[in-house]
Amino acid sequence: MAVIEEPRSYFHPLYDVMLSTPGLSVGVAPLDRLLTWGLKNALWVFPMATSCCGIELMASAAARVDLDRMGTIMRASPRQSDVMVVAGTITVKMAPRVRRLWDQMPEPKWCIAMGSCAISGDFYRNLYPVVPGIDTFIPVDVYVPGCPPNPEALMHGLMRLQEKIGLQREGKLVPSEPRPDFDAMVRPPALSRIGDAARAADLSDRQEQAALTMCPDAAPGVVEDEEKGFAQPATQATPPLNTELVELLRDRFGVTEFPLNAPPVVSADKHLELAATLQKMGYRQFLFVAASHRPAKEGSEDLCEVAYGLRTVGAGTKEAIWQVRVPTNQTVPSLVPLFAGADWQEREQYDLVGVKFAGHPDLRRIMMSDDWVGHPLRRDYPADKECAPWR
Amino acid sequence: MEVTTPVRTLPYRKLELYEPEGDMLTLQLGPQHPSTHGVLRIKLHLDGEKIIKAVPYPGYLHRGVEKLCEQLTYVQMIPIVDKDDYIAPMHNEQALVMAFEKLLKIEVPRRGQWLRSLLSELQRVASHIFWLGTMSLDLGGALGGGSTNFIYCLRERELILDLFEELTGSRFHYNTHCIGGNRHDIPAGWAAKVHDAVNLIRARLPEYEAMSCNHRLFIERMRGVGVLTGALALELGITGPNLRASGVDHDLRRDAPYDAYREIPVNVQTAKEGDCLARTHVRLAEMRESLRLIDLLIDGMPTGPINSSRPAKQANQIKIPSGQAYASLESPRGELGTFVVAGNGEANTSPYRLKIRPPSLHALAALPYLLVGHNVSDAVAILGSLDPIMGEVDR
Repeated sequence: MAVIEEPRSYFHPLYDVMLSTPGLSVGVAPLDRLLTWGLKNALWVFPMATSCCGIELMASAAARVDLDRMGTIMRASPRQSDVMVVAGTITVKMAPRVRRLWDQMPEPKWCIAMGSCAISGDFYRNLYPVVPGIDTFIPVDVYVPGCPPNPEALMHGLMRLQEKIGLQREGKLVPSEPRPDFDAMVRPPALSRIGDAARAADLSDRQEQAALTMCPDAAPGVVEDEEKGFAQPATQATPPLNTELVELLRDRFGVTEFPLNAPPVVSADKHLELAATLQKMGYRQFLFVAASHRPAKEGSEDLCEVAYGLRTVGAGTKEAIWQVRVPTNQTVPSLVPLFAGADWQEREQYDLVGVKFAGHPDLRRIMMSDDWVGHPLRRDYPADKECAPWR
Repeated sequence: MEVTTPVRTLPYRKLELYEPEGDMLTLQLGPQHPSTHGVLRIKLHLDGEKIIKAVPYPGYLHRGVEKLCEQLTYVQMIPIVDKDDYIAPMHNEQALVMAFEKLLKIEVPRRGQWLRSLLSELQRVASHIFWLGTMSLDLGGALGGGSTNFIYCLRERELILDLFEELTGSRFHYNTHCIGGNRHDIPAGWAAKVHDAVNLIRARLPEYEAMSCNHRLFIERMRGVGVLTGALALELGITGPNLRASGVDHDLRRDAPYDAYREIPVNVQTAKEGDCLARTHVRLAEMRESLRLIDLLIDGMPTGPINSSRPAKQANQIKIPSGQAYASLESPRGELGTFVVAGNGEANTSPYRLKIRPPSLHALAALPYLLVGHNVSDAVAILGSLDPIMGEVDR
């Protein structure tokens, strides 16, 4: 989305009058310089802080760097501030709010993009929920690169902005600041576009081939000769299975397979009963729900594996993890009636993977906006899905 | 077996049945609000100034980290998860590599384990200090704008960030944990600096206490506000200081010890009341305990290698056989876990599915229960006292 550059009142309001009245500028110029000095040295910042960079923004307002001595203070209201510092990743869900807050700021106003996420989206720029740079929807005056930039870097950015304001007020030509070329500086991780029709069919094979040729003898484990200074890779003892859980599953739930490196599979109709039994046995803390999508292949249908974890409380705590395997269009009994903590976790799995939980009282999207189409963590969902007009 | 399903009243109070005493108002707190600790929106239904219903809407910082991790290799994703809980990146990295080490069955050398615990405790102090600062800022007017405490707290946090910067080269987002150990060994003279910083912070802790939990106005704002009972906290899956402030004695460092905690016993700090003041007390006591642990860890640091092999430099250097594992640790916010589904039948260089178990998500889920009946100004205090980090909630 291209930014529509709106007319911004950088210039002196009496500019036209001065042009038509020769000699007036002689009187106005000292006053104008005073105004410029005031404008430059009292930049009130509106902290549009969303993530990590916001913490550095706070740190730069705190004791060590102390932005206050530059006349820069944080104002929490857009209507009282001159500069919007966008610090952190802006997502598709957040972008309309950022745009609205920008529109609420009175002219003259400036924008600083702090950190690589605000500049270009950085690691996340090819991912479905992230806006690849805020300059796609608001005009940016100064870019402060870094992940996150140090407080000193932000201070430098503010000083660059002060210079820019001075030049603008004098009516000089200000070279527009280019966006730092991250593509040249860092190599973005290659996203595999699963299920994307535009993708060449043999690309996955070639990528995998490339991955293997870089390290041809890649056996499972850390691949490198031991040199002096490194310990022999000691083998961790195999984590013991939770015998309590194994006995329970074998005796009462008819589970026969207990693999060492994966949670046992419980049928969906016994799942709620198992959770209730475990809760009575002292597994009172809800840990997690993790659904993973297995697309349909030859010989198997479209599956979802939903792993659940519970934990006992206090000394010698144990965790009980099991999984339920259901076809994607079928439901899994929800654990919310037993564990209130399952509420948001199951909503998240419903939102991102698309597993439907039967008996959940409030099953709606939690991470994505309500009108989002599709479930992003499904394997057939392209990671770099477009979302007009934001990305 | 007959499954008896307890009928649970969810905190979503039916508004149609409510008889208002004053004027009804719906207030959107956030998503851009300086006291929501990031980008969180809470829809507050108010009767006058009393909250009668609160519905939080997270997701404004959902960056798709789990999808990205499916695309990256095991070596590449360690600096990515740094950005999840950006107040305590050390714990993010460690929770991730612990899950991989569990699948690879790699044991970290003893010095590596001690170094991890040392970094973890330093990070815990930094995180709790930052929390105290922002909490004071949230309380606002009663503490003279709260800025005094905030500025003092961040001054001490800089000391720890300096230590990390010297060790890893970065103020945060360290990328110092790797599969099998750590990347950066302790440089010369660093231990003395740690002692200096620890002594300075310890000497200043009474100042913080004077400004927070011994301060009359602070106590007035916090006592009896947002009472979280132990039973509700357990049900909601709340962990960490929030759980311990509700009287539940549970800490993974002691109960499921990992790394150096197998050798050094941790005194778990608890409080009974479960209100905002109790959460403050627990965090301050934990800070003191962490400072004690740091002294023990740096003095007793064993010699030897910190890594079980040379840290991986190439993206495809590590392959993990097919399997699923869950590993967790005690982060400043509670149990931070990683559930990884590796490979799809064969060893692979990137995971099939990765799920991060964020403690803050569960803490936030308590908001609808805790806010009801309080005033709007208390909403900010309760939210702050739970110490949520939105990067971790939304991922």
